[in-house]
Amino acid sequence: MEVIIELQKHSSKVKPTPEIPDVLDVMTLLSLPDHLRKTAITLCKLEQATAEEVAEQTRRARAVESSYLNQLVLMGYLKKERRGRKAYFCVDKEGENKTWQK
Amino acid sequence: MAKIIAVHSYKGGTGKTLLSLNLAVLYANRGKSVCLLDLDFRAPSLQSILKVKNADYWVNDYLNGVCDIKKVLADQSKTHAKRGKLLIGFANPSTEAIREMSAKDRKWEMKALGRLLSLKNTLLNDMHIDYIVFDTSPGLQYSSINAIVSADLVLVVSGMDISDIKGTHRMIDELYELFEKKTGLVMNKVFADFLSSKGHRQELAKKLMNNSNLPMVDMIPCYCDVLRAGGTALFANENPDHPFIKILERIADTIEKL
Repeated sequence: MEVIIELQKHSSKVKPTPEIPDVLDVMTLLSLPDHLRKTAITLCKLEQATAEEVAEQTRRARAVESSYLNQLVLMGYLKKERRGRKAYFCVDKEGENKTWQK
Repeated sequence: MAKIIAVHSYKGGTGKTLLSLNLAVLYANRGKSVCLLDLDFRAPSLQSILKVKNADYWVNDYLNGVCDIKKVLADQSKTHAKRGKLLIGFANPSTEAIREMSAKDRKWEMKALGRLLSLKNTLLNDMHIDYIVFDTSPGLQYSSINAIVSADLVLVVSGMDISDIKGTHRMIDELYELFEKKTGLVMNKVFADFLSSKGHRQELAKKLMNNSNLPMVDMIPCYCDVLRAGGTALFANENPDHPFIKILERIADTIEKL
């Protein structure tokens, strides 16, 4: 009996933990620091935008928004795509950039 | 000016649906184009009140990406509005749909937020709707927070119950303020004694406002007629001179100024 219990414990340890994508949903928005939340919500509304377009909405400097948007990319919530000289940001809807374990 | 109004509360049974529906009808009766969406997927109600048995498409389908919003909206102008336009999107009341909506994952909720946010463009700009009213689920859950993020104004309805008042305080601090949402407070089902003098009213308003600077939009007494109707009468049309509707007219005016 004890052997079975030990085996069960062992098997539960090696069982792969299901991965849940960490996405930019409202719960994530709530957990973000205030300055990043504002940027993230604005991008959710715009769907796809440059730092300049986000800055127009938030009324903060373009360089500031650019830094916040890049932080959100590093955190895995946004995707960045270069088109010509412009960089466009959009929400990573597939949660490809980042996952967290249960 | 607020165009998208989310009617929310901490607890259930505060009168969100009754307020949302009558408010939407009042705006339509003023000649406005109004769209009312039932976003309470755990306990859909609008279809029962308006005696709608079936719909080709539900709000659930729109959020699932099955159809566009135009297919969901039922034109109720002829039956429930004296002037203007009244479009209503119902939530699917079947047990299966409720179960399905409660099992959605975070990725789905994120996409649902995107679809709610895009309504601003589709309904206000393309379809020239004047007001969108969201009737939400109570408390802190995905569907209601998605609605709050998508709205211009949150109308928070509280009863007199202390747990409701304390919960509303928490939502003001930890939800509406974090999203920098324009918020107005409404206290519903208030005992008439508590509204008998200016002093009493101020005391009650202070209790709900709890040092916040949020506007106390109005306080609605508990009317036996409204309770007796049990949600079967659309007061804005059937009893437009009722004091309940007079207060809602006042709320509609205040919202236009907020």
